[in-house]
Amino acid sequence: MRKLPGASDNLTAYTFLLPWLIGFFALTLGPMLGSLYLSLTKFNLLSPPSWIGFDNYVTIFTEDSTFTRSLAVTFTYVFLSVPLRLIFALGVAMALNKGIRALGIYRTVYYLPSLLGGSVAIAIVWRQLFEGTGVVNQLLARIGIEGPSWISHPDYVVYTIVTLSVWQFGSAMVIFLAGLKQIPADLYEASEVDGAGKVRQFFRITLPLLSPVIFFNLIMSIINSFQAFTPAFMIGDGRGGPLDATMFYTLYLYLKGFSYFDMGYASALAWIMLIIIAIFTAIVFVTSKYWVFYGDGKEGR
Amino acid sequence: MKKSMLALTLTALMAVTTACSGGTGGGPAGGEATNGGSTNTGATNSGTTNTEPVAGGNDSSGEQVELRVMWWGDQARADRTNEALKIFMQKNPDIKVIGEFAPSSGYFDKLNTQLASGTAPDVFFLGGNVVDYAKKSVLLDLSPYVDKELDLKDMDKAMIEYGTLDGKLQHISAGANARGILINTTMFEKAGIPVPQDGWTWDDYAAISKQIADKLGKGFYGTYNFTVDGFDIYLKQKGKQLYDMANNQLGFAEADIRPWFDYWQQTSEAGGVVTPELQVSNPPTDTGKSLLITGKVAMTLAASNQLTAMQGLTQDKLTMVQVPRGPKGTGVVFESSQGMSGYAKTEHPAEVARLMSFWINDPDAAKILGNDRGVPVTAANRTLLEGEANEVDSLIYDYTSRVSKQAEAEPFAVSYNLPGFSEFSKLAETTVQEIGFGRKKVEQAVTDFYSGTVKIFDSNK
Repeated sequence: MRKLPGASDNLTAYTFLLPWLIGFFALTLGPMLGSLYLSLTKFNLLSPPSWIGFDNYVTIFTEDSTFTRSLAVTFTYVFLSVPLRLIFALGVAMALNKGIRALGIYRTVYYLPSLLGGSVAIAIVWRQLFEGTGVVNQLLARIGIEGPSWISHPDYVVYTIVTLSVWQFGSAMVIFLAGLKQIPADLYEASEVDGAGKVRQFFRITLPLLSPVIFFNLIMSIINSFQAFTPAFMIGDGRGGPLDATMFYTLYLYLKGFSYFDMGYASALAWIMLIIIAIFTAIVFVTSKYWVFYGDGKEGR
Repeated sequence: MKKSMLALTLTALMAVTTACSGGTGGGPAGGEATNGGSTNTGATNSGTTNTEPVAGGNDSSGEQVELRVMWWGDQARADRTNEALKIFMQKNPDIKVIGEFAPSSGYFDKLNTQLASGTAPDVFFLGGNVVDYAKKSVLLDLSPYVDKELDLKDMDKAMIEYGTLDGKLQHISAGANARGILINTTMFEKAGIPVPQDGWTWDDYAAISKQIADKLGKGFYGTYNFTVDGFDIYLKQKGKQLYDMANNQLGFAEADIRPWFDYWQQTSEAGGVVTPELQVSNPPTDTGKSLLITGKVAMTLAASNQLTAMQGLTQDKLTMVQVPRGPKGTGVVFESSQGMSGYAKTEHPAEVARLMSFWINDPDAAKILGNDRGVPVTAANRTLLEGEANEVDSLIYDYTSRVSKQAEAEPFAVSYNLPGFSEFSKLAETTVQEIGFGRKKVEQAVTDFYSGTVKIFDSNK
């Protein structure tokens, strides 16, 4: 009997996929299901978990004011840092796309912060820069402004963290740069002949042709920003202070689980975060057919 | 229709996989932040997490038992501790000890994770949060080893009592101290105000704080805000306590603490207290940044063992005075600063007991360890250290003996922090900041604080 055509191909494919499959089931899906179970229990890390149904979720939504505050802080961070970082990245990418010499060096230099930005060391540097007597305030003092203590006042600390995030524009920039290089130069030439100015060219040619890249960058940025942890942990006092102003969602989750012995509650928080991220990703996906232009005639795929 | 289903699946998958795998390695456990998770630590946060085997130990001595010990603190403390452990190995060639340490901020998260995964060290240090661990039955019952491997004959009774939780000996204090008001006397001289003496009251404290700030001018303050750290002292002065262990219930009511928050609010408004911003950026617990060291703040609440570290960082002359008195006295007793507990699942409980016994009794160990974790808990070692005390040490001994005398006249029972202590102290801190930054009126803040405390307590008791 002949095998179905393609069966052995499939086997080969699955063999190659095996490392990923093992990783996915053992290291991603397994723990996820585990955390789903834990989210329905009271689990203090050291005694066996006890089943309490949806109590954790009910408490989170009805009684937990820190949850509400941490969501507010996280949303503020995401809604400020994502657009700012993308705009900044696009701006730098367009500047670098002017055909300057030694592009490779500039690209590397501007990409570096992306590699370093998530690190503990940079967070500490940021702390020093924005301290009450830090470099930023010393510069401000030269022009006669007495800056506040950026990292110690609950009203300002989140903006300090946003600047750190914007500073890490490198990876988005590199992708934008690659996208810009794909745009055929003749489109610009043709539009110039037709009398379009720079601004018009940007909105009519650059942005539409770049939209798939923007789409990708947007999704990655949103997901990454929701999960920001290190800057909040390091620039704040590590416990969400001052006044819960650095109580990012992930930090709250971490504190609940590892410092306050409430891993069941922390698991429930993790699942809520997952759903929030999924909703945002879905919104971007669903709306994408109205603004993402693939330029190959197959719209809305 | 089919297309949209596909899009939806893709969306979901993308969210799931990225949400799980994303994040650029936020290595939390060894992280360095400002806030120590424990009370009464004299450690700065400058230590790096590392694991180093303590050299020595005889490899030839047949079956060697391996013990892991973990503590928090800075490099200086690690050096002392490793040296003491080396001597232990010389005296006990059948045991090999591996020391690990972490800065105080990450220490308890690290410990919790190890406890959860069953890989905790055989011996670890705990502070005022020992109740939390005792309640979760992860601590070794040392009672069977007393008078055999573990020699407690010379140890202070109060310290043994403190380590006995639920009728079992679960904690051996590694040092004792007494809290008091740490004073920068140089600032008092500059302001031309006499240094306060034992026996003062909270009204005096508020008045002096204001005087200092007024005399020295902008940027100088009388005191740090220690609403949280002094919380239990204030309750004891009123005949209440934080945690009523015998009945497993909270030891105070909302009405008991309201005046304490009011007191700090009024003193702050008068101008004698550090601004909330400065309190955040230069917390009193961070010895390296403390404004008392830099001569900007004249007074704060501190544990006596901190005096050594603090004095080492400044030219100003520091001293310690007893806490201002409340209706029932000062409320301060000689208390355990931190101590050792064994891991309930350790394979070598007898060796654990031997190590602890060495720690508290051995004179060579005492000489090396000094007062870093507090005054030794055995009378013999105290006498030994007093014999070779330097100027700062003498100040500490003088202070602690004054406290002991006071405690004889006005005894206070051994007390503990309530279960869920780290969450509780975070809540208390937030409450103080809500008031300080003007987000809430004292009355509202205290009401919210108390109901939050009840919730935390119920979930952890």
